[in-house]
Amino acid sequence: MSSVFTPAKLIVTLLALPALIIPAFALGYIVYQGSSVISWQFLTSSDALDGFGNSSGILGQLTGSLLLALGGCLIATPIALGAGLFYQLQANPRQRKLLESVLYLLQAIPPIVYGLFGLVLFVHLLAWGVSLLTGMLILAIVVLPALTLNTITSLQRIAPEYSEAARALGLSDSALVGRVWLRHARLELITGQLLAMARALSETAPILFTATVFSGVVWPESLLSPVTTLQTHIFYLAQEGGNPLAIQVAWGSALVLVASVALFSLLARKLKSIGEQ
Amino acid sequence: MSTEAIHLHPPQTDEIAPGTLTVRDLHLQKEGKVILHNIDLNLPASGITTLIGPSGAGKSSLLRCINQLEKNWQGDVTLHHKNLCHWPGGDEQLRRHIGLIAQKPCVFPTSIFRNVVFGIQGFWRRRHAQHIAEHALRKAALWDEVKERLDSPASALSLGQQQRLCIARALAIQPRLLMLDEPTASLDPRSKQLIEHALLELAENIPLLLVTHDLQQAQRLGGHTNFMCDGKIIEKNISHVFFTQPQRVESKEFLRWSSCDCN
Repeated sequence: MSSVFTPAKLIVTLLALPALIIPAFALGYIVYQGSSVISWQFLTSSDALDGFGNSSGILGQLTGSLLLALGGCLIATPIALGAGLFYQLQANPRQRKLLESVLYLLQAIPPIVYGLFGLVLFVHLLAWGVSLLTGMLILAIVVLPALTLNTITSLQRIAPEYSEAARALGLSDSALVGRVWLRHARLELITGQLLAMARALSETAPILFTATVFSGVVWPESLLSPVTTLQTHIFYLAQEGGNPLAIQVAWGSALVLVASVALFSLLARKLKSIGEQ
Repeated sequence: MSTEAIHLHPPQTDEIAPGTLTVRDLHLQKEGKVILHNIDLNLPASGITTLIGPSGAGKSSLLRCINQLEKNWQGDVTLHHKNLCHWPGGDEQLRRHIGLIAQKPCVFPTSIFRNVVFGIQGFWRRRHAQHIAEHALRKAALWDEVKERLDSPASALSLGQQQRLCIARALAIQPRLLMLDEPTASLDPRSKQLIEHALLELAENIPLLLVTHDLQQAQRLGGHTNFMCDGKIIEKNISHVFFTQPQRVESKEFLRWSSCDCN
């Protein structure tokens, strides 16, 4: 490659720079604003009874966010795996095409629509109310298309020679899946899980009116109890424009949320690189 | 070492009596294209039967049909007088009786030992896995090279060793018939020699059906040769007769130029 800096290279670089600079600036600003309130107490105490962000603990919100994301992923995983295995084992080309189209369509639906669906079906029709379970189910639906597509891609990347070799030894479909496919694809499947966790942690709209309350709750008493989450905590606090403490807590919560999402994303990236080796 | 220096003793095979594997009028069509047409084939109770022919002749497809990895073929194929299409226990059970070795060695990402016993099923056989693995590795002429490192990753073996490991893995499930699809195509002369030697020893007890592009190898291994072209078996005979006195023009052309026009 030539090291001469041509005008074309300059233009490409100038076009590419905003993609790095703008998110980096936003991230830097969140770190700058949020770091001033980050403390051990901030992370390990809760403000449920004080309410409206007047106290600075976010343990309840952090726990709620993680519980919702984890629950959503746990619900979505077996369904995504089942759909991926159906795609690989049984589906004919027409069914594969249809399944892919449906998954890409579902992925493109705005999460708020899933939230509305959850509000009607789970909160009102099934009378589960605003609850942890409802939120988990909604988040499972939100991450399901991406998780299924990741499962399909992971299974497709297994060299067909392994499947043929296993089949030639008389392995049944279930043995093939358990002993060959899942072992080969495990790193990529876990990577997909971590990315789904990151995605679920980033979602606010679908849980806003189906799973969360702003205060009055530290730990959900049961699956049918509401939770508080970092995402909705930031949403509510940001509307308290006249309260400097609330805004500071919002920045701190944002930093913790970004760090949580980044943690899962970076873990996924690390696993992917291990898998590629 | 030159492959010509190998001391081979091909098993004597006379006329083929139907019995082990019988293929009658096998026909395979894929996406409107005829892949196999009117295939008739008998395998003796032991010995090597080679399938030779130009690329695209249908040799590998025939193996895949017999192993039921390829479906939707028409015809009548029996193994020990049992129809393959109605095999008790289905295709999985059938494949436990018909080993298939691919051209490219494919070892699972686990230890050498676990690779050998990968296909072993059943409580009794799993209890004797150690003994079965040793027996299979000896048959595949690999035991002496790996007996001290059975727990090492199989991927650390050379390509030739990996191919012999694949043969051992297939033998560990005690197949009644072993099919090999160009098993030495990508191997060095030494590995080729070792595998050919192992195959000749195996052929004393079970029938082997071998696809090869290496005409010298087909001659060395003896047994019977079937020349395939354009989805059909053009000529079949005892190997030394086929290679010294081919009857069909297509066979003569192929033996001379390694290509032919069978349309």
